[in-house]
Amino acid sequence: MQSDLLRTFTRRLFLDRQAAFWLDQLHATWSPREIRARVVEVITETPDARTFVLRPNRHWTGHRAGQHTTVEVEIDGVRHRRCYSISSAPSDPRVAITVKRVAGGRVSSWLHEHVRPGHVLRLGPAAGDFVLDPDPAEAAAPLLLLGGGSGITPLMSILRDLDDRDAVRDVVLVVHARRRDDVIFGRELEAIAARHAGLRLLVHLDDLDEARLARLVPDFAARTTLLCGPAGLMARVERMWATAGATARLRREQFAAPPVTVPAPGAPIAIRLAASARTVAADGAGTLLDQLERAGERPPSGCRMGICQTCKCRKRSGVVENLRTGAISSDPDEYIQLCISRGRSDLELAL
Amino acid sequence: MTPPSRTLTRAEADAFGGELDALRAEVLADLGQRDVDHIRAVIRTAHRAEAAGRLLLHVGLGPVSFVLGSGALALAKILDNMEIGHNLMHGQYNWTRDPALDSSYEWDASCDAGDWRHYHNFEHHTFTNILGKDRDIGYGFLRVSPEQRWYPRHLSQPIVATFLAMNFQWGVATHDLRIEEVSSGKQTWAQLRERARPFLRKAGWQLAKDYVVFPALALGNAPRVVAGNLLANLTRNLWTFAVIFCGHFPDGVRFFHQDEIVDESRGQWYLRQLAGSANIEGGSTFHVMTGHLSHQIEHHLFPDLPASRYPEMAPRVREICERYGQRYCTGSFARQLGSVVGKILRYALPGGQRAPRAAKPAPVEIETVRERELARAA
Repeated sequence: MQSDLLRTFTRRLFLDRQAAFWLDQLHATWSPREIRARVVEVITETPDARTFVLRPNRHWTGHRAGQHTTVEVEIDGVRHRRCYSISSAPSDPRVAITVKRVAGGRVSSWLHEHVRPGHVLRLGPAAGDFVLDPDPAEAAAPLLLLGGGSGITPLMSILRDLDDRDAVRDVVLVVHARRRDDVIFGRELEAIAARHAGLRLLVHLDDLDEARLARLVPDFAARTTLLCGPAGLMARVERMWATAGATARLRREQFAAPPVTVPAPGAPIAIRLAASARTVAADGAGTLLDQLERAGERPPSGCRMGICQTCKCRKRSGVVENLRTGAISSDPDEYIQLCISRGRSDLELAL
Repeated sequence: MTPPSRTLTRAEADAFGGELDALRAEVLADLGQRDVDHIRAVIRTAHRAEAAGRLLLHVGLGPVSFVLGSGALALAKILDNMEIGHNLMHGQYNWTRDPALDSSYEWDASCDAGDWRHYHNFEHHTFTNILGKDRDIGYGFLRVSPEQRWYPRHLSQPIVATFLAMNFQWGVATHDLRIEEVSSGKQTWAQLRERARPFLRKAGWQLAKDYVVFPALALGNAPRVVAGNLLANLTRNLWTFAVIFCGHFPDGVRFFHQDEIVDESRGQWYLRQLAGSANIEGGSTFHVMTGHLSHQIEHHLFPDLPASRYPEMAPRVREICERYGQRYCTGSFARQLGSVVGKILRYALPGGQRAPRAAKPAPVEIETVRERELARAA
């Protein structure tokens, strides 16, 4: 209550804005609310993967091994956000993210090309439930960590955490990569394996199909499994675990959303309205504003021609086309103007 | 003065609009670092000027630091109102996805930002210079055009306009309340009370900030701080009044009747924005101080493009206008302001030469968002 009052007071007197401005002027990582982190080290892990070691400001509240954070960068004046798994252990005051450069990836390329020690990045709080259950029964259960390519990053945090707490009892770590040069954290994994008799490290450079995986880890169905990797590998593993009736013991982290196919304009779409928990069926032909009004919704609107911003609303997910510019955008959590946007896939709006 | 604009056919108007759309697309594609650098530099200047102004007023002694302090505070308020607030609230920087540059900005003025976004971004920019629709024409009580009906109360408008200029932020703040509609019976007292809520809240905090909290922090210097804030607000009021009145009321700007805009195409909308706006000539600092409303024409054609782009777009807009035989109303600050003052004086009296109009009796009913909201709340 008291803090609410204080917040209102500072906001109404613009003291929050003043504080944000002057803190930022004094020090690049100071901010009243934002999590900002200074890059203290950049490590080249493989030809296309780099680890950025960050020292976050006091707004960072730590992470659980396996979680990810949102990194926000500004490229040519526009802010972009991407999720990256944290590869450092929770006990480490320095937070590390390991970024694989994606062909045509704006943010990963920018991080690789521009970010050097001393740079400041904006972070979101750690999030995600790809973590080991603190429940002692699960902590004692045999583990299988299965990582493909850059999917090793959250598993690395988990392994470092176990190593930290000297809790590596019965762990199998399967690392899949195309070439030995592409194995991220190769040396450190070997060092940890050398320290713990309970860790079996299997680096697999060939295709990892069901038969091979069953041969590598015959008791896979009895292990709590954490899986993170490319879509193909994940689908194979899921099938295999389902067949063995072990789906309950499989936990997964998907990096990239499955590719969105953009249907032609006019294809039927579903618009989910998050605030009212309603789903509206639309034909994707007219503007979103028209579609919503036809369905009986009355979102705020004004000029109906894209100039007044009254109908601006947050799109949580989905693909929209800007009818004034023709731009098609699939970014999550972006603001759109309903009166000049056409839905090109199922959408979720914060209405 | 340039000759009046040629009347374009719908096809010509749409070709004209197409050229402006192409210009808009070109600038849109080029937006980037330079634009955020510009607006952040202005924000930095405003914050520094405010800090300097408050410091000089709070701890300074004597008239020199008082005048400098009030001046710095006025500068901060002008930048916050014009180049920062007005332009951010138009959504000119929404493409940056920086929350500090978002159209949800709240400015350091007594007008609630939500009220402003409603009546300015939507009503004024959509229905620009349409008599009976654009409530910015004379702000509902000044007669600035012979098309507006004369009433005896207009005799006092030179005094009323002076009063408005000195208290301009309060005129801006209460504009969305439609107070005049209570006397005409279009609005009940209950509706006005409901409508006034955001204004009362915002205005209360603004008064508390400038005249209670900051003076209290200055202890013995409190009277000086009150006076300094008053002077800064007065300066800002006079400046913004002068700039804004030069945007739509000088000679050469025309007004439209509702029946002229029935079934208006996008190209015709562009033509109306052009015909209804006037530019002021000046240097780059002057343009920033006016929030680039000195480029009112470009602003009305492209309200959602970063205003600092208007000066480089202006020669091209002008060239397009020339090719289509359209008047591009521009002049020095003295000329435009003189013209506005002249009109306020002239149209205080009845009469005046009316522009010819196309007669097509088909009144348009355009419901506003706020009307809809109020109807739903009732």
